[in-house]
Amino acid sequence: MLRYVIRRILMLIGIVFIISVGSFFLIHLLPGNITAVIEGPGASPENQAKLFKLLGLNRPIYEQYFVWIGNILHGNLGTSFISQTPVVTTIGNALPIDLEIMFLSQILAFAVAIPMAMRSARKPDGVIDRFFSAGSFTMLSVPSFIVIILLVLFVSIKLGIPHTGPSSYVSLRGDWIGNLESMALPAITLAVGSFVVYFRVLRSDLIATLQEEFITMARSKGLSQRRIMWRHAFRPSSVALLGAAGVNIGGLLAGGFVVQYLLNIPGLGYTLIAAINTDDYLLVQGIVLVVSVGVVLINFFFDFIINIVDPRISRE
Amino acid sequence: MTDVSEKLLIVEDLSTTFATAGGPLPAVANISFDLGRNETIGIVGESGSGKTVLSRTIMGLQPRTNVSVTGSVLLDGNEMVGASEDFKRRLWGTEVAMVFQDPMTSLNPVMRIGKQIDEALRVRLGMSKQDAKARAIELLELVGIPSPVQRYKAYPGQLSGGMRQRVVIAIALACSPKLLMADEPTTGLDVTIQAQILNLLDELKERLHMSVVLVTHDLGVVATRTSRIVVMYAGRIVEIGATRDVFANHRMPYTRALLESSPKVSNASHTRLITIPGRPPNLLKLTQGCSFAPRCSYATDKCHQERPELQAADQPGHSFACWNPLPTTRGDSAT
Ligand SMILES: Nc1ncnc2c1ncn2[C@@H]1O[C@H](COP(=O)(O)OP(=O)(O)OP(=O)(O)O)[C@@H](O)[C@H]1O
Ligand code: SF4
Ligand SMILES: [Mg+2]
Repeated sequence: MLRYVIRRILMLIGIVFIISVGSFFLIHLLPGNITAVIEGPGASPENQAKLFKLLGLNRPIYEQYFVWIGNILHGNLGTSFISQTPVVTTIGNALPIDLEIMFLSQILAFAVAIPMAMRSARKPDGVIDRFFSAGSFTMLSVPSFIVIILLVLFVSIKLGIPHTGPSSYVSLRGDWIGNLESMALPAITLAVGSFVVYFRVLRSDLIATLQEEFITMARSKGLSQRRIMWRHAFRPSSVALLGAAGVNIGGLLAGGFVVQYLLNIPGLGYTLIAAINTDDYLLVQGIVLVVSVGVVLINFFFDFIINIVDPRISRE
Repeated sequence: MTDVSEKLLIVEDLSTTFATAGGPLPAVANISFDLGRNETIGIVGESGSGKTVLSRTIMGLQPRTNVSVTGSVLLDGNEMVGASEDFKRRLWGTEVAMVFQDPMTSLNPVMRIGKQIDEALRVRLGMSKQDAKARAIELLELVGIPSPVQRYKAYPGQLSGGMRQRVVIAIALACSPKLLMADEPTTGLDVTIQAQILNLLDELKERLHMSVVLVTHDLGVVATRTSRIVVMYAGRIVEIGATRDVFANHRMPYTRALLESSPKVSNASHTRLITIPGRPPNLLKLTQGCSFAPRCSYATDKCHQERPELQAADQPGHSFACWNPLPTTRGDSAT
């Protein structure tokens, strides 16, 4: 186990290094006078000089990389010349929103998918299983923006709760009920997509696990059906589920912008689109870097969890 | 013969049929036998003869779908055939427990072995966490697992096949069952371990006053450990009797073929197997005749047309199903 963890950490460092090099060149591949491009039209010579120094553009390229990475390691991603705000501050404001949506949506998705899969797997092809499977399959084929529109219609018309003004997002710091209300729609939307995947993956693994001899053995001990499902079948069936969750959550971090954009939630995705639209390259670079490292970390985390859940994996 | 109520297990006309894509598959057909308290009976037959299905059906542990069971299994007075899962659950572990055939697949790979023993004690006997743990360690010791305190925390993957089978036995014994169904408890283990496990079962049976159904494809295994033997072929009993009679005076050609294919008891190091020529019949395409006929060198026309029923042999409790039984004077196979 320890050797496995060390190996994975070395791999992680390697991947993060590659990502950092990629993000570094993202800026350096921009055509023309890099300081002028980064700062956009109307850049003042002082600002250009500041950026020139920040990027260390007078030095050889590998040194420039080390200067840059050194700055990053000190928490300095530069200051946007568009908004005059440090990139770290902007990201620091947006990231918690992503994390909260992600957290809420995943809790919701698991809370629905797991009991449904358990119920389905008990009698595969039974009435309940057919109903659940057909329902989830239908949801799988509906794109998320349609889900959003349907949800918005439902919430605002049926429930009479007005929604999605331009400033519908409420910060968690102030009013947490208002915050939850503003997070409900994006969280539910993302949960729908995740839930379908989780349900299907867990259902099929549970069905396979329930065929195993050790399940018959558990039955022969006189354990209740409930206990057999939760204590014996669930854990060995959850490896693919966790794998799917890792990929999916990474995907939400990287691709949650559709939902954020449609619902005016100022998370990273929303901020990224805005940054692209305003040619705020330093901010784009910062977000790309944070999101990429985030995706890698999430995958690493789930890999680790999978190993705890199923000790067979690191042994092999 | 003792009084019927003395019997721990009475199996009568038991049949198990699976509904398969190819039609009904009679894996076990018209089996009757009984088992006294503290007795060990052997069930032998080739692979596919229905031993596992029979032992699971006796326990009521068959899969819950696509299977139909008829006949009767009285286990300590409880009818198992047609009983609800809830009813059987109350008997599993405490009345009857099973040692599964394959220790590589019968333990939960992601649960510590200690927990797998504990669980039965806590759920079924209502023991406290500490008591269950102490008892589990005792059980590990009882089945001969070295340093049980450390092993308590091991995952099945960290143990050898022989050790895992001991764990499986420990689990089966956890709630002190009256009847232990041991389904080929030593298949796949090497010869010395096999003997250790079988001796362990013998010893535990005496110590804990259990009855044992010992399932095997190897007559050598049951020779010295059972009082009676059931020989199965294609889901049916083809010969049954006291161990001594089945070895010395078997009348059914299949029993003889089995004996010849088994490593000789007196000559354990000589393990060359003479396999029985031909293959077991396809249970989906059984004929009306003797199911052994295609492989039997004594087969006559009658054998192909009509199935022989069990008939009494000379010794009490000994019967066989054959139209052309072997002469009774044979006695060379036992030693
Ligand atoms: N769930 C099932 N569905 C359909 N057929 C089955 C099922 N379980 C067992 N069978 C069939 O029943 C027959 C008897 O199988 P069983 O496992 O009892 O044999 P066995 O005597 O235990 O053999 P082995 O020595 O290989 O363990 C086989 O033909 C098998 O294919
Ligand atoms: S009945 Fe006929 S075919 Fe069957 S075992 Fe006896 S002699 Fe052989
Ligand atoms: Mg078997």
